[in-house]
Amino acid sequence: MISVKDLSHSYHKDGILAVNNISFEVAKGETFGFLGPSGAGKSTTQGILTGLLKQQSGEVSVAGYDTKKVQNERFNKIGVSFEQSNIYGKLTAKENLDFYSRLFDVPTRDSLELIRLVGLDGKENMRAGEFSKGMKHRLTFARSMVNSPELWFLDEPTTGLDPTIAATIKDIIREQTSKGVTTFLTTHNMFIADELCDRVAFIIDGEIKLIDTPKNLKLQYGQKLIDIEYVKDGEVIKETLKTIDEQDRKRIGEIVKTYDIQTMHSKEATLEEIFIQVTGRGLV
Amino acid sequence: MKLLSTYRKEMTIAARGFYFYIEIIMAIIILVILLFAVKENPVSKSKEYIFYDMPQQVSDYLTEKDISEGKLRIGEPVEIKLKPIAFEALNEDTGEVTAYNFEEESVIELQALEALNSDTGELSKTMYIVENEEDLVRIAYSEIEIGATIRMNAQSEFSYIYYMQGYETERLENLLYILHNETPETIEAMTDQQTVRTLDVFDKLNNRENLIPMMIVFMGSLMGFFIVMAYIFLDKSEGVIRAFAVTPSSVWSYLLTKIFVILTTVLFSTSIIVIPIMGAGPNYLMLYVFLIVTTFSMASLGLLIASFFDSMTKSFGVMYGFMIALLLPAFSYFIPSFDPFWLRFFPTYPMLQGMKEILLNGDMGYVLIYSAVFLVGGFILFLLANIKFKKTLTV
Repeated sequence: MISVKDLSHSYHKDGILAVNNISFEVAKGETFGFLGPSGAGKSTTQGILTGLLKQQSGEVSVAGYDTKKVQNERFNKIGVSFEQSNIYGKLTAKENLDFYSRLFDVPTRDSLELIRLVGLDGKENMRAGEFSKGMKHRLTFARSMVNSPELWFLDEPTTGLDPTIAATIKDIIREQTSKGVTTFLTTHNMFIADELCDRVAFIIDGEIKLIDTPKNLKLQYGQKLIDIEYVKDGEVIKETLKTIDEQDRKRIGEIVKTYDIQTMHSKEATLEEIFIQVTGRGLV
Repeated sequence: MKLLSTYRKEMTIAARGFYFYIEIIMAIIILVILLFAVKENPVSKSKEYIFYDMPQQVSDYLTEKDISEGKLRIGEPVEIKLKPIAFEALNEDTGEVTAYNFEEESVIELQALEALNSDTGELSKTMYIVENEEDLVRIAYSEIEIGATIRMNAQSEFSYIYYMQGYETERLENLLYILHNETPETIEAMTDQQTVRTLDVFDKLNNRENLIPMMIVFMGSLMGFFIVMAYIFLDKSEGVIRAFAVTPSSVWSYLLTKIFVILTTVLFSTSIIVIPIMGAGPNYLMLYVFLIVTTFSMASLGLLIASFFDSMTKSFGVMYGFMIALLLPAFSYFIPSFDPFWLRFFPTYPMLQGMKEILLNGDMGYVLIYSAVFLVGGFILFLLANIKFKKTLTV
């Protein structure tokens, strides 16, 4: 569904590349996570894929269309949900969706159904300018589904949402994925990526460091850890130890024998920890 | 269909904003002012304060004579409150300076005589008769008007002393000299010998109608230029251009519907002003064609400028500069003697002249040529704005 080969992009003529020679492919029906901190090149890549930025080099095919050629009809197959809400504040929620529906050449979804889907039922006749940040974000998300896209670009889809609403959004994404929609998810939230993505790409400083499934990454880079709390000289001490490290295993045995154990939990390495391990950088 | 849908959306947004109503309210205010505050053919009325330095019987006789000849009529007496004041007066003939110092406040009642235009019979001047010369000088200074003492000597000869403000032109002074040093018969004989030929014969708009081209052009072009920028910056702040850019609809149709909204407003507001004042007189087809092409070109200019900036505040310097430049041809319109060649290159110059020709049903060739120029110019500006907008879309 998406094919990117040797893509580079620079905003200035100083030779500094925001995206540096990246290549990847996204299969039909796949949920692909594009992960990285702010300024890593995620939005630039998505901008090129969605046609908002002019492609400077490389080969890019999106939904079967060459992005170097201007073909507006490709957007009939594509839906884009932006990180920053961008809706008409002077139009109601329903008017916003109805207006966008009329811009497509394909059958579109009922605006009231979409409004209900994102939990904005009862607010359809309220002007979007009066919405809270989270409500605007949900309406932007709903708008991206107006044309029942085959390829769905989601930029930070759960940012700024409370956990309940975020869970609803994640359920909608899962439902669409189960219907065969290809999703390109741009985020710096590793938990979302872990939950939703079939494969993830780690991008930093414009370069893709690796691409794999979350499960494979955990197997390859993850280390089983044990959080242990014990009492020593009347004081509670906490240590995190690796189960695959010989020294740490000896230390676990020593603590269990010598001290009074308060709590002991085993845990898997998170995608975020793997990202830090691979790139040497955090996600903020 | 998409264009119509986008236009409907833009009109809905415009109707829920205040720019649309500002334009309509402004048109109504302008119409009211033109109808009720601007006269079609204003007559210049002046005031004069006169002291008759002669026996009462003589001044009464002269006044009654003029009244009987229909040159004067008795007006309503007025009361003038004079504040304490001190000033100096210079006699231009002798160089003598006279100091005046009025320490007391006083209230003076003046008899009014109204001079009538001999051709139309309309009021042309109001003369107030003052009782003494000191009061005359004081009133002329306080009211900033001309005062005159008309004196008759023992030989029954008249002489005139004028109290002027000092800024009057030499021409006026010379006129007064001639008026009082030559007999009316001599002046009439001289003017009869003079032949005046106008170099061209052309229709004129009356005073009220003459203001319409300026109102239309500046409401249409300047407001169109400004409001289209305001609409774009509102959309930029909401980020909706990016959302539009990822639909099968094109950026040019988005920009064009902005211009359609401006055109709708301008056509509506112009009609509010023109139809009640001009009636069925002008060529409305040409008026609307010219209005559409000029507004299209100015709104395209606004779009192009808006494409270079992120917000209204950042664009203020450039926008202000353009607006001032576009206003300059108004000077030439109202002061025909100020018509430098370079001013003709400002788009509002042919706009004003074209509108005037339309209202006069004059040179339609001029209007058609400039309609074509504005259409082509507007199209080029629109294309440039479209290219720039595509380039400045951001992620």
